[in-house]
Amino acid sequence: MKSIVQAEINGEPREALVDTRDTLLVMLRDRLGLTGTKEGCGNGNCGTCTALVDGDPVCSCLMLAAEADGSRITTIEGVASGNELHPVQAALVTHGGTQCGYCTPGIVLSAVALLKRNPKPSEHEIRHAIAGNLCRCTGYDKIVTAIAAVAADTSGGVR
Amino acid sequence: MSNELTSPSGGTMPLQVVGKRLARVDAGERVTGRAIYPADLVRPGMAVGAIKRSTIAHGRIVRIDTAKARSMKGVLSVVTAADFPEVKPGTMYPFGETGADAWISAVTVMARDKVLWRGQPVAAVAAVDDYIAAQALAAIAVEYEERPALISIEAAMASDADLIVPDAKPKGFDADNPAPRNASGRTVIVRGDVAAALAGAAAVGEVAVTVDTAHQGYLEPHACVAESDGQGNLTIWVSTQGIFQAELQTAALLGLPQSKIKVVPLEVGGAFGGKITVHVEPVAARLAQLTGRPIKIVTSREEVLAGGSGPAAAARIRIKVAADGQGKLTAIDGRYVLDSGGLPGTPTTLMMQASAAPYQCPNLHLEGIDIVTNKPRTEAYRGPGGIQAAFAMEQAIDELALKLDLDPLELRRRNSARTGSTMPIGTPFPSIPFPDVIERMASHDSWRQPIGSGALPRGRGVALGYWRGTSMTSAAHVMMSGDGRPMVTMGAVDITGTRTAMAQVAAEEFGIEIGDVLVQMGDSKAAGYSDASAGSRVGRTMAAAVSEACRDALGQLRRRAAEKLQCRTEDLSYERGVFRRDQAGSINLEDLMRSTIGEGAVIGRGVSTKLPLGVEIGGHICDVEVDPDTGQVTILRYTAFQDVGRALNPPAVEGQIQGSVSQGAGWALTEAFDYAADGRLRNASLLDYRMPTALDLPKIDVVLLETPVPGVPYGVRGVAEMPIVPVAAAIASAVRRAVGVRMTAMPMTPERVLQAIKKARR
Repeated sequence: MKSIVQAEINGEPREALVDTRDTLLVMLRDRLGLTGTKEGCGNGNCGTCTALVDGDPVCSCLMLAAEADGSRITTIEGVASGNELHPVQAALVTHGGTQCGYCTPGIVLSAVALLKRNPKPSEHEIRHAIAGNLCRCTGYDKIVTAIAAVAADTSGGVR
Repeated sequence: MSNELTSPSGGTMPLQVVGKRLARVDAGERVTGRAIYPADLVRPGMAVGAIKRSTIAHGRIVRIDTAKARSMKGVLSVVTAADFPEVKPGTMYPFGETGADAWISAVTVMARDKVLWRGQPVAAVAAVDDYIAAQALAAIAVEYEERPALISIEAAMASDADLIVPDAKPKGFDADNPAPRNASGRTVIVRGDVAAALAGAAAVGEVAVTVDTAHQGYLEPHACVAESDGQGNLTIWVSTQGIFQAELQTAALLGLPQSKIKVVPLEVGGAFGGKITVHVEPVAARLAQLTGRPIKIVTSREEVLAGGSGPAAAARIRIKVAADGQGKLTAIDGRYVLDSGGLPGTPTTLMMQASAAPYQCPNLHLEGIDIVTNKPRTEAYRGPGGIQAAFAMEQAIDELALKLDLDPLELRRRNSARTGSTMPIGTPFPSIPFPDVIERMASHDSWRQPIGSGALPRGRGVALGYWRGTSMTSAAHVMMSGDGRPMVTMGAVDITGTRTAMAQVAAEEFGIEIGDVLVQMGDSKAAGYSDASAGSRVGRTMAAAVSEACRDALGQLRRRAAEKLQCRTEDLSYERGVFRRDQAGSINLEDLMRSTIGEGAVIGRGVSTKLPLGVEIGGHICDVEVDPDTGQVTILRYTAFQDVGRALNPPAVEGQIQGSVSQGAGWALTEAFDYAADGRLRNASLLDYRMPTALDLPKIDVVLLETPVPGVPYGVRGVAEMPIVPVAAAIASAVRRAVGVRMTAMPMTPERVLQAIKKARR
């Protein structure tokens, strides 16, 4: 059975025709072509598919698309302002915090959500915030360093 | 170290781009989600493929009934092994130093007549969407004649056990050393008289360990899109470590000429050895041929873990290390038994080398065998066999140090291999500066500073690591754009930042900014043959190929510049993108190409083969805290020392080392496949197969040494495999020194540590 989901996605009003069995992840990737959100496990264990729903990080593979009706969703495609990277993205680039890149969109969204609610996190708070995002390449060190650098930067601040 | 480069003319010049801390050239697309992995690709008219997997671990396939699935609306095709040509054992295809057997790939991709492990593919479907594909898989009925599942090494070796792979001829056995049941290979390295040395030793360190199966854990499941043009040509977009290996295997499995298949590399979401053998490509390609539709196959996490992509070999290893009264090693006696999973061929020689190579020792007896069991066929995992080998060897060395009452680093200092000393295989070592690495470790804070005390017992462990690596072949070409900028095309896949490092190499060779160089991965019809990105080889060999290609292009450009400036080529100097004829004139690359593009393309060619090895060496120091009430091991501090020859891009090198340590710590402490007696994997999810999170690891400090390898451009060594090798041993010896128990089972789960502590107290 199909239904139409209406949601604000990356600041734009969007509609998607979804199968009732579709997860939010399937809606984003297969129905709307927002393939920046990746699937790593399909059952909420790896955080690779993290998106922000009404500002909170969720595993989009664990939420049905139909549940997203009326919500405000941010995916990795909506984090930068045009060609201007979000400070978290810029810091991951500068500090070598991305290797294969598959976990990176989820890490970015978890970090953006963290800094929004806690602009000056400790190292432990940073590690806690991304503990739901598995990364197999980096050992997390350069990711943590990048997020800490954003928090320490008083020049631009975090959006 | 000196920051200079030996120029082709033999002089030296300072490095401008190589060795700089630069961001990856492709980092922007990764942090914005624009990087394209095969699961992201959509082709016009595309349908999906899905794989039916065996529900038993061992038995004969009596019948596969696909009629019901075929009749379902939306199902486009159903295939079994009958739809693929049969590939016989010994169907070799070119790969590296020895070649590889396409029969292994064929059996891994689709079971024929016999099932060797639970999760092995037995059929596949093409359908219009994932939901219908799943229903079609459920509608395929497979009748099996089930045999007992031989899950453990012991069960498979029992004299009355079934032969799991009757076609495989055991190698390396003889009348004195008959092959045990289901053994597929034996390797022996012998030097001197180990028995006599053991008998006369002042002290012997001995451990016997078991290592459980673990998985590479790449976050991107296997995926590809295959498309047929109906004229016999196939295009496959895939996440692979080697486009030519994917092409060669697919060609063999489909009975097609290699030239009819184009493999296009997309981004690789982690591989670590698990994306060399094809898993989905031939299936998608066959379905694409039969349906005339582009077919996408994306595997699930459960399929990745349980289905036979990966994992790494389990092992039983016993090692005795003997020394004289001066703490000089006199004997290494090691026996290695590997659990290959459902197909033969896991090499034991790499393990034997990884354990014995760090040391000079006159008497060696190393014997390795691999046993086939009814579990997924094992594949390479970052320094294959190295961490298992070091878990045994470096703990045996630690035991020896305790027996001799010697500082464990001092014992290693007295015995480490050095340039020119004899390798286990009998030839002299090329550049291998272990003494420098050990000196750096001994003088570093992580070794000199007291460990401090806390509420729980603490211990410090140390282990050395060695990895031989390989060279094989790499190709690149450099085309000059009409605006004078070089465009580099590589035949090897970038899995570790190769595009960035090669942009640095090309910028260095041309004396221009890195932003003025484009580096791309070519597809298998546009790039020169290169072996897979594996064996710590691509950075070194591709640097050699790119360097050669750049110099070739610059030679062609020099001839054009000489014509333009009306002089002999030898009258020209070249620096920073400009050819000069003393005071008489100059021309830059842009003007040269703009004015001569009509004279034809400038294409520089570079091929690297048989480059000297970039042997990887290092050592790790680890502080842990152990909770004696729970068995929980917490890593407090971790420092990895490594000689990398030269770091082309230090942050990338550090990142490789930190990632290696993280993977090693995962296998050391939590990661293990848990098989039921019937061969079912009980923890086929990332919740129950527990990889390290950001909270499980401390900051991982990296100390780089740079001793260039002679004969290799920029002196680059391999980087990415060695740093997983010592991890489990360093942690285990830290546990030993914290709570007094020698951990002989890996991973060292809290349960196992607690049991060991309780046993020691009894």
